[in-house]
Amino acid sequence: MKQIIAVFLSCALLLAQPVMADELTKVRNIVDKNVKIFIGYVADKNMDKEVKKQKLIETIEPFFDFQTMALICLVKKHRKELSKVKGRRQEFVDVFVKRLQDSYLEKMDLYTDETVEVGEAKKVKKNIHVVTNLVGKDGKIEIIYKFRKTKKGWLVYDLEILGVSIVQTYRSQFASFLKNNTIEDLLVSLKTTDTFKMPEDKKQ
Amino acid sequence: MNPSLSCRSDLKTVFLIFFLLLIFTGCSQHDAETGISNDGSGTAAVDPGEADPDEDPLAEPGGEEDLLGEEGDDDLDEFDEFEDEFGDATANEVSDPLEGYNRVMTSFNDKLYFWVLKPVATGYKWLVPEMVRSGIANFFHNLLYPVRFVNNVLQLKFGNAGEETIRFLYNTTFGLLGVWDPGKEWLELDPHEEDFGQTLGYWGVGAGPHIVLPILGPSNLRDTFSLYPDNFVLDPKAYYVEGTERKVGVFAFEKVNDTSFRLGQYESIKKDAVDFYIFLRDGYEQIRIKEIKE
Repeated sequence: MKQIIAVFLSCALLLAQPVMADELTKVRNIVDKNVKIFIGYVADKNMDKEVKKQKLIETIEPFFDFQTMALICLVKKHRKELSKVKGRRQEFVDVFVKRLQDSYLEKMDLYTDETVEVGEAKKVKKNIHVVTNLVGKDGKIEIIYKFRKTKKGWLVYDLEILGVSIVQTYRSQFASFLKNNTIEDLLVSLKTTDTFKMPEDKKQ
Repeated sequence: MNPSLSCRSDLKTVFLIFFLLLIFTGCSQHDAETGISNDGSGTAAVDPGEADPDEDPLAEPGGEEDLLGEEGDDDLDEFDEFEDEFGDATANEVSDPLEGYNRVMTSFNDKLYFWVLKPVATGYKWLVPEMVRSGIANFFHNLLYPVRFVNNVLQLKFGNAGEETIRFLYNTTFGLLGVWDPGKEWLELDPHEEDFGQTLGYWGVGAGPHIVLPILGPSNLRDTFSLYPDNFVLDPKAYYVEGTERKVGVFAFEKVNDTSFRLGQYESIKKDAVDFYIFLRDGYEQIRIKEIKE
């Protein structure tokens, strides 16, 4: 009986390996293939800036797990508190996502001639991390895309740049803010973003 | 470049490219208009919102329910798995007993940037061509070869130390005292940035309390202590630049030259932050952990 179980387990393990390898390849390809699309969009100097932003947002929204990202930027007790008032959770997600998109898409002009090297995809617990390097004239910057399997497939829930996690950084800020403020205060703060104007000359 | 400045420059660079990452990721998934599928096959044009599970072997059956469909505690449970990954941010995981002072010093540095550094660097950038400013930055970076070499050796990274030596020899000779970087251009050798703070971290010394330094910005007790060996023992300027006034002058010039490449970046990351001090503090500490692990 033990031998049968051992053989069964061995077979299961052998079968599981290719499945995982296939998933790793699949997720890596998501990054690898579409970085070229990104480069094409951003490097297109003839495309209207607003049109370009809109295209990028429309492309991002279905596949970037912004909702999970927004909610895990709050610690557990704040997530629960957020849900005590009907509609407030979705409001938080909407405000957070809009802030992220506005904040980063407006910096699109900072792109010059960077290229991306896509490295290996690694299984980390239940998730998959894809390591890439942004290569510019000042050297390489490591970027890790953290994918999580959801009902919609593999979606990114966090990005890590040179070891700095977007989610972690926001978690710390929100936790610090909520020590002395309410969720409503946080929503107001998130809506108030334009305290500084970008200088005219953004390129260095 | 002063190691602390180097760290801070990295920090700025990190937040500058966040936008790229978001776009990369988004584009990495799907481009419906171009008909390139998110699996990289380049064959299927599928509306992301209507993905067919049959065409996506990774998608689980069971529909496309919105994770936030109904408000309540039950559907929040799935996010609990992230508590282990990201820790308890309310527990103030970064040691920060000096938070009050640090916030004041962050504010001081902020004023210093807007009132002094930015106007001077803006004028300097207008006056001096980029090629010249790059040459100056390269020259100062090349000078700090002993800092990188010794700290690579102290961390037993002998291969990196060797590459640093080759880079130094090439850049000092063919690169005209380091103004140009043939080590990278010809040999494709990247610098291996290491400082004494990383060396201490490599050998298990903890970061200690977070400390914001005047002018230099975010640091911690370990890295503050490490400024001495890096800047007063290993940096050749400590021996060849005589007198405090000249040392300060050289430091200020280097700082202005460095800032001239990064105008607008500080404003940008400040604008993005909800709590700017925490944003800088955690960013700095996360970068240092990463640098020490490498």
